[in-house]
Amino acid sequence: MADMSDALKNHLLAALPAEEWARWRAALEPVEMPLGHVLYESGVAMTHVYFPTTSIVSLLYVMEDGASAEIAVVGNEGIVGISLFMGGETTPSRSVVQSAGQGYRMRGQFMKEEFSRSSPVLHLLLRYTQALITQMAQTAVCNRHHSLDQQLCRWLLLSLDRLEKPELAMTQELIANMLGVRREGVTEAASDLQKAGLIKYRRGHITVLDRAGLEQRTCECYAVVKKEYDRLLPEAVAH
Amino acid sequence: MPDSENLLIATLPWRDRTALLALCEAVPLMQGAVLAGPGQPIRHVYFPDEGFISLVTAIDGVPALEVGMIGREGMLGMQLSLGVGDVPLHALVQGEGRAQRIEAAPFQLELARSEALRRQMSRYVYVLLDQLAGGAACTRFHGIAPRLARWLLMSHDRAGSRRLHLTHESLAAMLGVRRVGITRAAGDLQRLGLVTYHRGQITVLDPDGLAQAACGCYAADGRAYRRMFG
Repeated sequence: MADMSDALKNHLLAALPAEEWARWRAALEPVEMPLGHVLYESGVAMTHVYFPTTSIVSLLYVMEDGASAEIAVVGNEGIVGISLFMGGETTPSRSVVQSAGQGYRMRGQFMKEEFSRSSPVLHLLLRYTQALITQMAQTAVCNRHHSLDQQLCRWLLLSLDRLEKPELAMTQELIANMLGVRREGVTEAASDLQKAGLIKYRRGHITVLDRAGLEQRTCECYAVVKKEYDRLLPEAVAH
Repeated sequence: MPDSENLLIATLPWRDRTALLALCEAVPLMQGAVLAGPGQPIRHVYFPDEGFISLVTAIDGVPALEVGMIGREGMLGMQLSLGVGDVPLHALVQGEGRAQRIEAAPFQLELARSEALRRQMSRYVYVLLDQLAGGAACTRFHGIAPRLARWLLMSHDRAGSRRLHLTHESLAAMLGVRRVGITRAAGDLQRLGLVTYHRGQITVLDPDGLAQAACGCYAADGRAYRRMFG
């Protein structure tokens, strides 16, 4: 059987009891998740759920006129496709890879069966759902009330928490799409952060130089979300 | 046994509905009452029959944006079905009315017992997630007047009454905008003959006209709900 140790970089997978893991490892399939790859379009039937390991996926809500805004990010702490076990065959959001890397996927049907069969799985996924709800609510209020500068810091910190290295392959265009603002605004905010020595931005790459500085500069929203995730979700544990 | 007009309860099969109703206690929803808040363990879940509860996110403890609305189509306390014992948002009664409430512990027992209840709760969580996601985008892109029109329609749908008691101040907190923005937008809707506003009381005169003035998110919400509950 293939070496599945990489899959355990995903905290939800790592938190499965041995019995569940024994069933799941055969059902998981490694996938490349390149930048900009769309895992689901909104309104389209979902065939798989995804567990990012080294990638980050952005959930975007797409409005009727085509405008979109990021409502949450999912990385190695989570799963993409919770609508499936909530009883929806489609998801209201579009899922796009915002930081390239790897992940694992599993057939939606298998997931649904496990959800009703195993209470540790049920428990884990439901708590994840609650954490995601908090992130979505906080993102909404942050979008409304906080400066673009603060939102960008929050977004960088949330991304950083989900990456192995403090580096993001990211264009300003994509960030602007995520935050639902104009590109000029992102350029200005990013250049301010660079001048303050917090990040380095070069040709589609952002390197975070001073994490503590970002934390000081961002609004309370980052800490609220982080605290809720820490409270509800498992730490990364090795099998 | 109390009877209920709550639609979530109504979608349960007879046996499960009867079991749930046997646990219910009818209570009034009093304007301004805070039914849940971050860090407070859930003591009761509420299934509104009439009136509605706003789920509000706060910044520095001050209400800053409404991210969900619960009326007779839903319930407060779905977190218990997620295995979490508190609601991370402020739950505030904004539309007076009545609800069925159940203490947390017997509700959890009923959840463990009734598969139909668990299934409907999941579906309801999906609808709330959709509302939350759509709301985030709406807040970002749409103007105050269409958002206010949407909010009034959502309230109107849930309140079971055309009259709402709300100050511009509290509307501003719900929509996360400044009070003067609300005053201007409400003035616009009033001039169009869609609502009247008098001393903190808003009356919806023309729901169809209001639906025209609202952003597409209002219709999208309705579709998401019907997809799940038919």
